[in-house]
Amino acid sequence: MLHDITIGQYFPLNSKVHKLDPRVKLFYTLVYIIMVFVCNNFVALFMTLLSVILLTIFSKIPFKTIFKSLKPIVLIILITSLLQIIYVKSGIVLIDWWKIKITSGGLLQALFMTIRVSLLIVMSSLFTYTTSPTAMTNGLDRLFAPLTKIGIDFNVVTMIMTIALRFIPTLIDEVDKIMSAQKSRGANFESGSLMKRTKMLIPLFVPLLFNSIKRAYDLAYAMTCRCYNGGKGRTTMNALKLRLSDYIMLVLSIAFIAGVILLNKYCGEYNAEFTFGITL
Amino acid sequence: MALLRTENLSFVYGEGTPFKVKALDNVNIEIEKGQITALIGHTGSGKSTLVQHLNGLLKPAYGKIYLDGKDIHSSKEFTLDVRFKVGLCFQYPEYQLFETTVYKDIAFGPTNMGLSTADVDKRVRDAAKLVGISDAMLESHPFDLSGGEKRRVAIAGVISMEPDVLILDEPTSGLDPQGRENILSLIRDYRDKTGKTVVLVSHSMDDVAKIADKVIVMNEAKVISQGSVDEIFENAKALYDIGLSVPQITQVFIKLKELGYPVSEKVYTVDQAFSELQRILKGGYADAT
Repeated sequence: MLHDITIGQYFPLNSKVHKLDPRVKLFYTLVYIIMVFVCNNFVALFMTLLSVILLTIFSKIPFKTIFKSLKPIVLIILITSLLQIIYVKSGIVLIDWWKIKITSGGLLQALFMTIRVSLLIVMSSLFTYTTSPTAMTNGLDRLFAPLTKIGIDFNVVTMIMTIALRFIPTLIDEVDKIMSAQKSRGANFESGSLMKRTKMLIPLFVPLLFNSIKRAYDLAYAMTCRCYNGGKGRTTMNALKLRLSDYIMLVLSIAFIAGVILLNKYCGEYNAEFTFGITL
Repeated sequence: MALLRTENLSFVYGEGTPFKVKALDNVNIEIEKGQITALIGHTGSGKSTLVQHLNGLLKPAYGKIYLDGKDIHSSKEFTLDVRFKVGLCFQYPEYQLFETTVYKDIAFGPTNMGLSTADVDKRVRDAAKLVGISDAMLESHPFDLSGGEKRRVAIAGVISMEPDVLILDEPTSGLDPQGRENILSLIRDYRDKTGKTVVLVSHSMDDVAKIADKVIVMNEAKVISQGSVDEIFENAKALYDIGLSVPQITQVFIKLKELGYPVSEKVYTVDQAFSELQRILKGGYADAT
């Protein structure tokens, strides 16, 4: 049950996208997310869709895995689509039955929204699939390094992030283990009244908390033994350096921004009758 | 007939993903009533997965498990019942303690069984006595105890359900020699006093030789061999081949024999070693040299 969590999962492969500088990938992801919202017509949206498909092909990540990342939001998409279909009234009336009026505008708006939300999720999953947690924190660390000049040690923040990500699977395993152990003593986590089930959380969370604190102490001691004292004067073995492919990606990001803006400007008016508001 | 028996048991972790691992491969074992059966094998050989099948925590991908001749997955109620009939004590069980007093923690299992307060009380006190927990200790906080004491409390938490089969996964790991010795004699006493069946998962050949009646050897998800302690340790080479070993005292006697001393290699405990040495010394070995 707990193993279905895929957020922040890394999919280790050897591809051009995996090898990109994490800072460049982060930049592109942010640009992409903003641009998905900037798109106001189907042509521009189609281009953003195409670009993420291309990126997926380059990353060698199977499309099946990408689709899997959409699973958790299927329900949200369905509900919002339904609301759009019912409440947006513009364009040609397709069905007029009792109090429900379905219009072409509503359908298109629902489709637009579905693609837009899916693209957001797909792009952010693609980012985490292709960037290892180490690379991610390394990139963030470098990105915020200038902050040390004004007295903020951002390295501490990235270290906390690294540790948190590192311990997610460990804690999941631990929860599994404690649950099995308590089940062996007749604990029933699946059925019973709400009160009973809430009570059953005590045998689960008390040991979990106790063990986590113990583990945190051990880790702190181990880090102290290896002379960890924040990011001051710390260098990295694999220093991040922008390469040719990174520069190409940066140029592509800018071209992408320009593309969306231009398509918005020229196709937005052309398709005026079914672009509607972009309000979500 | 065997009390607990598996039939062509197979299990796969992560079925349908690229990370799938075969954890059990066609496992057929028999656990006899009243015996101490030891399960030995490397880390990752499937021992822990196997014992979690025996009390119905994991559902087999293929094959069946029979308790007293009845399939443990024949009905949902029976599966829940099996959790109490086959008591499983996990590795490092002290990490599962959560109550405010030792007494309450031991009482968790019997309370879940729906017993009356008087029955629960009797079971807690019986279990505490079996593992050597004093009345004073029953009222203390479990987190204040030493590692060995916590371990005993956790074992008592399983024993208090009075299971027909007690399964202990690596009960001595991480304990000092005195703690180990205590746990082992506790297990033997438990069996001798109650006549109940015990399954012991272990890494330590010395522990196994000391208390087991029967040994099951696992390697890479398969059962390699099963038999009495003598039968298993006689064949030292087979054990070495899969990266296991024989008890230390046996290793000494194998070496002694290699050096030309007329000793038997079939020595698995220190007591046996003592009588073997006595036999040889009395037999006038000293004169022969």
